[in-house]
Amino acid sequence: MSTSHTIDFAALTLQDALDLGILIEEDARERYGEFVDQLEAHYTEEAAAFFRNMVRNEGKHRDWLTKRRTSLFGAAPSRVDASMLVEIEAPEFSEADIFMTLRQALDVALKAEVRAYRFFADALKHVRDPQVRELFTELRDEEVEHQQMVQREIDKLPPGPEPDTRGQADEPVGH
Amino acid sequence: MDVTPPAEVVERRINARQAYRSDLKPVWCPGCGDYSVLTALFAALAELQIPPHQIALISGIGCSSRLPGYAATYGLNTIHGRPIPVATGLKSARPDLTVIAMAGDGDALSIGGGHFPHAARRNIGMAYFVMDNNVYGLTKGQTSPTTPTGEQTATSLYGWPEDPANPLGLALAYGVSFVAQGVAGDVKGLARLMVEAIQWPGFAFIEILSPCVTWRGKEQYDVIRDRARPIPPEHDVTDLAAAFRYAHDPEHLYVGVHYRQRKPTFQERVTALQQKAAAKGAGNFDRYLAKFRA
Ligand SMILES: Cc1ncc(C[n+]2csc(CCOP(=O)(O)OP(=O)(O)O)c2C)c(N)n1
Ligand code: SF4
Repeated sequence: MSTSHTIDFAALTLQDALDLGILIEEDARERYGEFVDQLEAHYTEEAAAFFRNMVRNEGKHRDWLTKRRTSLFGAAPSRVDASMLVEIEAPEFSEADIFMTLRQALDVALKAEVRAYRFFADALKHVRDPQVRELFTELRDEEVEHQQMVQREIDKLPPGPEPDTRGQADEPVGH
Repeated sequence: MDVTPPAEVVERRINARQAYRSDLKPVWCPGCGDYSVLTALFAALAELQIPPHQIALISGIGCSSRLPGYAATYGLNTIHGRPIPVATGLKSARPDLTVIAMAGDGDALSIGGGHFPHAARRNIGMAYFVMDNNVYGLTKGQTSPTTPTGEQTATSLYGWPEDPANPLGLALAYGVSFVAQGVAGDVKGLARLMVEAIQWPGFAFIEILSPCVTWRGKEQYDVIRDRARPIPPEHDVTDLAAAFRYAHDPEHLYVGVHYRQRKPTFQERVTALQQKAAAKGAGNFDRYLAKFRA
């Protein structure tokens, strides 16, 4: 639901854009980490293991962007405000489920990657700086690769209906 | 997220929100709305750059009231229904602290319901966040004062025969000086409301619609999403009658600031009294007490 952004993309410099990219990856890494903790606590191991993988992936992307940022701009102070940056590539909390299957976990990640793709695609409509354009195009295209990677994992799953995990829990009494 | 102008470059930690996170891992059910509330709170505190040691989070008892444990601020998980009195005492003793009281709908409107009007009329300088899931989550899904009529719960198997309380309507009637509604599903929107509430000079109440996926089902998110509407930008936040109309709208749950009207805070009034007393000079307390001797 958090889709309203107030970023002035037209004014972004390459340094801002790299900082923004780092924050997006960090937010996603943090959220997947929280999902791992939640599901481990409820012994939902398959989904937790997949999210653990996502933590590693998002961490790698963040580190790669950080390296680039540092080589170009050193320790120059960031002008990008991190506090309100939420759920651009991170899945929403409501998507976690106590008896989540691996397929459901993969679906959640796929949805998040599609959201991230849309973010960069929409941003590109406003970006002016050619270097920022190049970076955002790269990041947008990477989101397509991530989607394909998740889709490949989904395709590996055995066909057939998903187990009805709801039955493992008490029915919410209100329904 | 805003890009700050170069003239006001502020160095912020990359993961500014992490500064507020404690070592304790939340044990809420996966999918619980309270996770979003916690994240929104961290975002708001990071935005305001309030050092963790200058913040106190005071809760009652309930799933939602676990929240202070997950923050690296000062905090107290008090007793059921009592976050307001404890927070009032703290704010009175330490007006320099940012005090945020928080509770579930049961805590806030059943057992602790009597404290709400008094915090409002005193206009204590603190924020009060109520995480409303229409149910007693911690104790396994009993009805609460905000359970909708007809709902089936652990204690209303054939449907709930009572009308629900309207927390926004109550806050307005009690004279709360800042009244808003947020939804857990919109972390950023909720964080923005929290920023306003925390900065508000006086008692600032946010009714937060925060689903309980275990006892109300994931469908509670859909119900909220279907009914939630942003409060129209033309709404005059000082218009109490209009605020009542939005609060009692039979169809929609209006998200945003419903009412905001500056009035003297308890701390301001006490300071004025202290100045008045100081101007009069030291009194004779024994002589005063003597008036009451038989
Ligand atoms: C004095 C007292 N009475 C009753 C209880 C039992 N109790 C604990 S939490 C709770 C209600 C929880 O519901 P709510 O406040 O809405 O919070 P939630 O768990 O839904 O977040 C009750 C009745 C208690 N702990 N103390
Ligand atoms: S029981 Fe409900 S309110 Fe409590 S943690 Fe679980 S989902 Fe959240």
